[in-house]
Amino acid sequence: MKGLTYGAVTRDILRPLFKPSAAYMALLGLCVGMLAWGGYCLFHQLTWGLGVAGYQPPVFWGVYITTFVFWVGIGHAGTLISAVLFLFRSKWRTGVYRASEAMTIFAVMSAALFPGIHVGRAWNAYWLFPYPNQRQLWQNFKSPLMWDVFAVSSYFTVSTIFFYIGLIPDIAAVRDRTTGAIQKIYGAMALGWRGTDRQWRHYMAAYGFFAAFATPLVLSVHSVVSWDFAMAQTAGWHSTLFPPYFVAGAIFSGCAMVITLLLPMSVVFKWQDYINVWHFEHLAKMCMLTGFILTYAYGVEHYIAWYSDNPYEWGIFVDRLTGKYDWVFWTMVLCNCVIPLLYWIPAVRRNYVGLFAVSIFINIGMWFERYNIIASALAHQFDPMSWTYYTPTWVEWGIMIGSFGWFGMWFVLFMKIMPSVAVAEIKELIRPPLKSDALKSEQVHAK
Amino acid sequence: MSEIIYVPPTPGAVKSVFANLDCLIEAIHQLKKAGFTNFIVTSPLPRHEIEEQIYEGRPSPVRWFTLFGALFGGTGGFSVSALSHVNWPMIIPAGKPLVSVPAFIVLTFEATILFGCFFTLLGLLLNCRLPANDLQIEVQDPRFSDDMFGLVVNGLAKADAGKVKRILGEAGADEISGMEELSHG
Repeated sequence: MKGLTYGAVTRDILRPLFKPSAAYMALLGLCVGMLAWGGYCLFHQLTWGLGVAGYQPPVFWGVYITTFVFWVGIGHAGTLISAVLFLFRSKWRTGVYRASEAMTIFAVMSAALFPGIHVGRAWNAYWLFPYPNQRQLWQNFKSPLMWDVFAVSSYFTVSTIFFYIGLIPDIAAVRDRTTGAIQKIYGAMALGWRGTDRQWRHYMAAYGFFAAFATPLVLSVHSVVSWDFAMAQTAGWHSTLFPPYFVAGAIFSGCAMVITLLLPMSVVFKWQDYINVWHFEHLAKMCMLTGFILTYAYGVEHYIAWYSDNPYEWGIFVDRLTGKYDWVFWTMVLCNCVIPLLYWIPAVRRNYVGLFAVSIFINIGMWFERYNIIASALAHQFDPMSWTYYTPTWVEWGIMIGSFGWFGMWFVLFMKIMPSVAVAEIKELIRPPLKSDALKSEQVHAK
Repeated sequence: MSEIIYVPPTPGAVKSVFANLDCLIEAIHQLKKAGFTNFIVTSPLPRHEIEEQIYEGRPSPVRWFTLFGALFGGTGGFSVSALSHVNWPMIIPAGKPLVSVPAFIVLTFEATILFGCFFTLLGLLLNCRLPANDLQIEVQDPRFSDDMFGLVVNGLAKADAGKVKRILGEAGADEISGMEELSHG
């Protein structure tokens, strides 16, 4: 950050706003196109019912739940970077946290689509929330599915508040550099922020509390998601290992997604001063740590299944390795355990092509991990007569692709309408302008 | 074309602009020493030196909102779970309790976090007086969200304006304005 001034930071970070290039519009168009295809597939499913999905007894969880867990997991890295690393006063966080937080919000928005899509009758989704009704019929708060509703909705709400509060000083900076209607819109969004001593005093106190509240959510949300599986008496799912295993996987995939999204953004926007190989190397190291935990968890769950001497449990794990779903399992192992080992080579994790390529494999591998857990366990339950092979249909693939379009559309829009790097916080990393420094410099020049 | 609106300066206010943080801190210190405490400081980033100078380590009351919200959420979350099950009892054999503490911990935890956040937000908005549309014109300077610090002294009597301007000037202010007719007259 040497040589940067407050004014240069404001100019550099706000420069890409509101000026879409042809390539940007093409990217946005691609995302909207994917979303439109997903919308068509959803319309088809709403018209004809869940029969258009590939479900067959006893497999009634498939691509939708896989993609739901995938998106919830993606969100975790954003909260880890914005909240946990804030409390640890980690300096590399500052350049990447805004875009990571945005990724979290959009990932949870993508995940939130799926419970409604999965149960078929999305228009009854409000039944999930406790509200006074005619028959005094209440939810079962002992059900992990109910916990999940509260975990994910609380996570989304807290993350959104944290994100928006962090944005306010920067929205005010945009307001002060625009005119006309845009200025009015940003003025309203800035809530009248002027950076007064009173505002900063309460802001910093509240920001610390928001970070402290968001921190346990990093651990709790995916733990609760894992209980959707682990609380069930289903071989292959019923394990106390699931919460740490899921949390490690979530951070692993989230950090990889941050690399996937921010690396091209930093290059295109020429933000080398703010997001560079130093940041990406830290993210790669997070992937190395969590990837190792994940590989260990894969090993332990197989070992425990064998050690339990439970034929149903062990049967699932043998089937995953050698059965009809072996291609899913080995894709997962290749993408999550083997390819990320390349990050242990400094030359790879300091090279943009290497960083980006490995992060793509991790994203793919983590989707397959959830598919491996869900599909293979349900298709190979206690009664061999019920064993089956679940194959997703074009409708399920279409809706999954649509969710990537939905996520991508929001992220691409965000890049052009909000500062993707935190202006005020970057300024905190710079030595403030001091008259004493200027005097010293004058004395040196005089000598 | 955007219309030009003239907003008159606030009576009894002197505005100063600082490029250097140490000059600003010195100005705050000297103003307090001279007995002028009715001022607003603006900055493009949070600086602990400014907060220390003005508030002398007094913590923000936002923390009480946070505590109340978290306690309210925690008790509310547990109560909603427990009372729902009492109101709609599912008597499961094998001695499973109707009000199960381990099962309700999840909702209690989530509600603690959620309402703690809501009340912190409320505390932030109330204490910062946001949304604000009525801050004085002297504070509304685009440079204060860019690379300059501002110090606006309010409620000045005619006799004090010159003294305040001298303090600000000696501290190293790059620009001083307001109550011109008094300082020149």
